[in-house]
Amino acid sequence: MATRRRAEPLAFTVRVLLYLVYGLPLLWIVLTSLKSQGDVLSSQASLFFTPTWDAYASAFADPQLGASMRQSATIAVGTTVVCLVFAIPAAYALARVTSRIVVPALALLVVLQMIPQTANLIPLFWLLAQFGLLDTDAGLILADAAMLLPWAVLLLRPFFSAIPLAIEEAGRIDGARTFRAFFSLALPLARNGILTVGSILFLVSWGEFLYGITFMLSPEKYPMSALIAQQAGAFGIDWPRMMAFAVVSALPVLVVYVFSYRLLRTGLTLGAVK
Amino acid sequence: MTGTDSVTTMRSPRPIVSSPSGSRPTGTTRARRRPPASDRRLAFALPAAALLAALAVWPLLVLGRMSVGAVTGATLNREWEFAGLANYAQLLADPDFAKIVLNTGAFVVIVTALGMAGGFAAAVSVWSGTKGGGFLLGMMVFVWALPPVINGSIWKFLLADHGLVNESLRALGLGAGGVGFLYDPKLALWSVALVNAWAVIPFNALIFRAALLSIDESVLEAAEVDGARPRHRVRYIFLPHVRPTATVLTVLTIVYAFRSFDFIYVMTAGGPGTASTTLPYLAYVEAFQRLDYGAGAATALLSLVVVVVFALVYARDVRRNEEVL
Repeated sequence: MATRRRAEPLAFTVRVLLYLVYGLPLLWIVLTSLKSQGDVLSSQASLFFTPTWDAYASAFADPQLGASMRQSATIAVGTTVVCLVFAIPAAYALARVTSRIVVPALALLVVLQMIPQTANLIPLFWLLAQFGLLDTDAGLILADAAMLLPWAVLLLRPFFSAIPLAIEEAGRIDGARTFRAFFSLALPLARNGILTVGSILFLVSWGEFLYGITFMLSPEKYPMSALIAQQAGAFGIDWPRMMAFAVVSALPVLVVYVFSYRLLRTGLTLGAVK
Repeated sequence: MTGTDSVTTMRSPRPIVSSPSGSRPTGTTRARRRPPASDRRLAFALPAAALLAALAVWPLLVLGRMSVGAVTGATLNREWEFAGLANYAQLLADPDFAKIVLNTGAFVVIVTALGMAGGFAAAVSVWSGTKGGGFLLGMMVFVWALPPVINGSIWKFLLADHGLVNESLRALGLGAGGVGFLYDPKLALWSVALVNAWAVIPFNALIFRAALLSIDESVLEAAEVDGARPRHRVRYIFLPHVRPTATVLTVLTIVYAFRSFDFIYVMTAGGPGTASTTLPYLAYVEAFQRLDYGAGAATALLSLVVVVVFALVYARDVRRNEEVL
């Protein structure tokens, strides 16, 4: 891609447009969180104002912020771990086995991945209630993990397929059994894939909203996304405070994103189209 | 084990690294033989199969049972009385139902058309590997990675009466009264659909970009030598090259638009009235706001049928691509 290209005015225009359309909302979240409620009431669009930490002070004074951040962290980490534990061996099996069951299994995963969340929500609400799992972290983590599992398997599988069979074969000649071949050969070689899919699972379950607001019955157990939606739905929204909540809850996303962007860029591409 | 070994050896000369996308079957390297009766590595898939059976497949069966039952907030945890097709009849008799179906169709069409066109345009504009393009793509994918609730809230703010969009329109001397993006019944659905398209464009751009990167550099050089203008390049090289990718991505985008929930919930709550309610959103309202789980289940099941049709189209494509995986 080193060739020099002609100047392309159209591509340049599109880029400027994209910078505006994606950059401005991000900028406005941060700007608004630094305004006072009065600034926002006089004009929500103003660019010049005296920055203040009031909104953050008010946000951090609310014990619900800490509780919801902890809740989101528990759910996101729990979902990522549980989902990976189930997805990794399944992806390995579907990448290596040559049974006639593989293709129908993949098709089933694709269908499951596409089901509207509200269709699972209604019966899961009843199901979790039967096992006393409503309003518990375990219930929400299980529901999230089951929802993301088909996608995780489909994303992970190409990483295992990419491991040269010869490596495992060599191990097998050396006497490595099935389990050892998996743990000491395939698993370390698929490390990038596991990191990629782990980051995606964390990002998605951090932002998950519908299960969180439905399966958690007590508002003090709401994850960040539900807390923000609650703020945005209130009458006379305190916008600076809501944007402060948004900034705080976007920070973990930013950290994970910065560390995994390179992986995500290729990992998402592999799983989505295959 | 000997059976397995011979098969694995037989299929070993397949491509080791699967190329990102746009790759079509270049020739079947996997042997078309009867697969071995059993491979003990299949057992590795059992835990996932069990979890999905319990928390994905079983719930769908429960959903089916609920849709023909009289299930309300009061009877949810008791035996459900069989109600035949009463829930479906009630749904079809709802004067808003036809409108909601139309809403769903319009919503999906807007998100898909804009999501695909915008994704392709963005991919082309960031493709010629300069620093600015890379940063732009990074920023866009970050927006995609943000919780949908945050993205929905920020747009609710920007589209408000005195939000950035309306203030900018006023500054340009357009619409002094302000445009009711989210509460004008004629505009609400459009506004939410536009924001949804905005949210999916980064993902589509990422996928399209990968497809563009797999174009052979010599083809581009040849075109340049022949004096092809950028628009010719897009028309005669890029578009034909990304077509297989675009087919799959269209299906994914349709399903994404159809599943949309968070943006509708945060921005308009399906309103005003039912102006921005789609089928999956209606299922939620019926079950968790009107506490009529039976009607919610019937609606969800109807919307499920739509998804399964598209999923099967996609699955067929995955199956076709299976040989190169």
